[in-house]
Amino acid sequence: MNNLKIVQQFTKRSVFLVLLLFLTLPSFLSVTPQIFAADVAEEPAKSSESSAPGVELPQFETAQPPGSPSLAESQPAAGEGTATAAVEEEELPPVQYRTFFGLDSRVVVWIVSELHLMFAAFVLGVPIFAVIVEIVGFKGGDIKYDKMAKEFTKLLSAAFATTASLGGLLGFCLFGLYPEFMGHMTNVFSSTMYVYALMFFGEAFTLYGYYYSWDILKGTAAKKWFHIFLGVLLNLFGTGLMFLTNSWATYMMSPAGIVPATGKLVSLYHAFYNPLWMPVNIHRLIANVCFGGFVVGAYAAVKFLGAKSDEERAHYDWMGYVGNFIGVGALIPLPFAGYWLGREVYSSSPVMGNIMMGGAFSWTFIIQAILIGMLFIGANYYLWLGMGRIKGSERYTKFFKYLIFIIFMCFAVWLTPHNLPLSGEERAMIGEQYHPFSKYFGVMAAKNAVVNLIILATFFSFLIYRRSNKGEICPFSEQGKAGKIGIFSGLIFCLLMLVSYAISLNFVELEENIKAFVKPLILSLYIQSFTVGLAAFLTFKNRGKLGQALLFAVTASIAVLYFWYYGFQVMQKANLVLRYLSVTQVSIVMSCLIMNATIDIFMFRKAKLVGGIVWGKMPIRSQYALILLCVVIVILMGLMGFIRSGLRMDWHIYGVLQDTSQWAYTPALSYMGRIVGLIVVLFLGLVAFVFWLANLGDKKEKGALTEEFELTEPHPEHYKKYS
Amino acid sequence: MANKRNTFLLIWIITAVGCLYGFLKYASPKIFQMLMAKDHPMPTPSTLMMWYMIMGVLAGLVYATTSNQKFVDFLSFLLPDRGPLIKSFLRKILFIGFPLLVGWFVYTWAIPGAASPVELRIQHPTLPQEFEKLENPFRQADAETQRKCIEEGKILFQTYCRPCHGSKADGNGPFANSFRLRPINFKDPGTIATVVDNYLFWRIKEGGPGLPSESTPWDSAMPSWKDDLKDDEMWKIIMGEYDTAGVMPRQREKLE
Repeated sequence: MNNLKIVQQFTKRSVFLVLLLFLTLPSFLSVTPQIFAADVAEEPAKSSESSAPGVELPQFETAQPPGSPSLAESQPAAGEGTATAAVEEEELPPVQYRTFFGLDSRVVVWIVSELHLMFAAFVLGVPIFAVIVEIVGFKGGDIKYDKMAKEFTKLLSAAFATTASLGGLLGFCLFGLYPEFMGHMTNVFSSTMYVYALMFFGEAFTLYGYYYSWDILKGTAAKKWFHIFLGVLLNLFGTGLMFLTNSWATYMMSPAGIVPATGKLVSLYHAFYNPLWMPVNIHRLIANVCFGGFVVGAYAAVKFLGAKSDEERAHYDWMGYVGNFIGVGALIPLPFAGYWLGREVYSSSPVMGNIMMGGAFSWTFIIQAILIGMLFIGANYYLWLGMGRIKGSERYTKFFKYLIFIIFMCFAVWLTPHNLPLSGEERAMIGEQYHPFSKYFGVMAAKNAVVNLIILATFFSFLIYRRSNKGEICPFSEQGKAGKIGIFSGLIFCLLMLVSYAISLNFVELEENIKAFVKPLILSLYIQSFTVGLAAFLTFKNRGKLGQALLFAVTASIAVLYFWYYGFQVMQKANLVLRYLSVTQVSIVMSCLIMNATIDIFMFRKAKLVGGIVWGKMPIRSQYALILLCVVIVILMGLMGFIRSGLRMDWHIYGVLQDTSQWAYTPALSYMGRIVGLIVVLFLGLVAFVFWLANLGDKKEKGALTEEFELTEPHPEHYKKYS
Repeated sequence: MANKRNTFLLIWIITAVGCLYGFLKYASPKIFQMLMAKDHPMPTPSTLMMWYMIMGVLAGLVYATTSNQKFVDFLSFLLPDRGPLIKSFLRKILFIGFPLLVGWFVYTWAIPGAASPVELRIQHPTLPQEFEKLENPFRQADAETQRKCIEEGKILFQTYCRPCHGSKADGNGPFANSFRLRPINFKDPGTIATVVDNYLFWRIKEGGPGLPSESTPWDSAMPSWKDDLKDDEMWKIIMGEYDTAGVMPRQREKLE
């Protein structure tokens, strides 16, 4: 009996059991009202006891109408029967908190919401690159890409149902366990909740439509484009859903559009578009792609490790490479988006900002630094090992030791905290508040500098990887129009980015003494613009490699060395300029990445191949690196979820609705570690189970991969396009 | 792969890790002593020492496993061969030295000794919300009034704060050496320059006793000044303190 049959039988029995339960529910409900009524009578007493003494709670118009009996008045007298309580039910004030079978309500919501978010991140991140991979396959005529995009979507459809189930569970938990809080949220966001539900239909229909029409919408270019359109629509619905729910989550951190004292809604637009909404949207959008990439990479690694044939190994090696490529590609801009979010958190509340970076949550950021460092090291390590399967890569292996030195040095600075755990003896020996290592490495100026250097080093690893099997290059003058247009477009884009920002810096509204600190930033942007132009010019003169080296050198000198030093100056004298400094730093590094990538693409376009890539020829440890990357990103997501939510401290809605439950305290690091660890194990277990289910039907398709990797013919649609 | 074989890779990595240890343990305390013109070395804290050493070892292992050939070379040193005599000699040193090194670490960790516990410090205690919205009333005044406030604040600073925080606000007051945790050096860009001035107002007003219950135990000898100074005096002290230290308070940013 094969696995499919077992699952079918299991499904039939499950349906029968669900029906049975459904039929017995009415008889159960006929008894329960009395039980609930008796329980409700006790709830207010608990909530009034747990209220912090001396804390004045805002009185919400809908949650507690004027004239409603006080908590003490609503208490039934001792010894009163359940019948009396049931009669007084309507007069009782709303319940603030309930528990889930006596469990810690906060932990229940924490675990369920984090699991929901992790699945949602996968479900929202994967379609973005699935559609891109499909387009690449269609335009390039390589059927391998099309098959891989379909495999991604197969995982997606399996994970989607789990996401929806967890979302439903989260909703019930929130409404059940935190009724007062959810009452407030419903008052403010009820209209958007209906939109959310409707958009969910849109996502479900487009997702299943996209997956199940894959083979039907083949054959002609028009059909394929329609299929791609379905994928784009799926992404639009998914992103819209995420943006919508983000507004609820960010409203809890930076509430707007209401009267704080009463909780009355004044402007839904401002409540929705609250100060942290857009930074969280951008951060999550990029992080979801990164998360999806690394989870797919781990899936491919597990399949690679269990592969029985060379073809299977080749397929999953390639899939793992693509997953890692997507993960790292999204990881590179992620620190910039994270920094923007952090700054906006600080701007919306200096208290929250202080708690985050220098207060109770500062040590969680050291853990975050370790995890991010591991991601960069793991991704680079995988790339270096991957060069082993490329003939010609030995020309570049000499760079490994320098890259390792740079990345580990940066990692060391990146995780050095400003405040160190010190014994009394060490403090006495150092003789002052900060050891020089923590003084110069522990502040944001240093951290921003090194993270940019790690990004540049990782990008360099990518460049040598893609050059590995390329030999003699074709002179640029023979690259044709495409090369010239490509370089010129890259140049214009970079110049627009750099020069427009430099011009805008001239008009920032600051006091004259502070504005003086902006001038070096403007100068740096112009120097970088000139260097980008020079690199393009050198490329046109067949000296592209020199142009690239020059661009790397100038970028590292300005964005890393100079801004490391200048960041300290700005911190001391003009902290308002830090915002502009970080954007300048990002712009300079991004221009280097964009221009260097453009030059590399067009410089090596018609280069002679030294040898091919032998997919599947990877050491086993590379696959464990991919699995490690997945585990690390899942831990990172769990940790950052805790930080974002925990920053509100003892507030459901920061500064508006206080958490007066018994769980209104910030968990200690060890406790947080245990819960996040549990969430990570649960997620990885669930995702493994879901992927196993998704693959059950594929058992009989053995041999398909052989065909795929032996296939040298272009994609059928490719013919049609050019015929 | 056309790379030359390096059967001494293991020894090179051990040497590099040893150099890192030597630098952190012996060289950097002396270098910082010279650079910062101190009369005593600045020893690397044990926590950092451990982290940096772990990273050094990890970097060596990553390098040794970046290709199959390197990995084989790395391990091949441990296997007997007909290589040069020096290799055989170094191998014996390694086989004897490594267990001894591990034994020495275990011994130094396990040996009973008196040491104060290592504390996980928090830089910025959480500012209570009632202080978040406060604003220094003198910051918006005209230039002349501000200048007067700064001068008054400097005098108050020298009267009340100098004994611990020093006349230059560098944490070197006459009483500074008597504290286990020295008073903060306000000239350091990582201290008062990173916080808004109502944060300082809270610290001056409530002092060590007013620190929040979370992240305890705090190690602060800062007294509470709420019974001795008026609010206006505290705001002026803050202005004088920033001016003395030569740094600016963090300013509130507009949301974008």
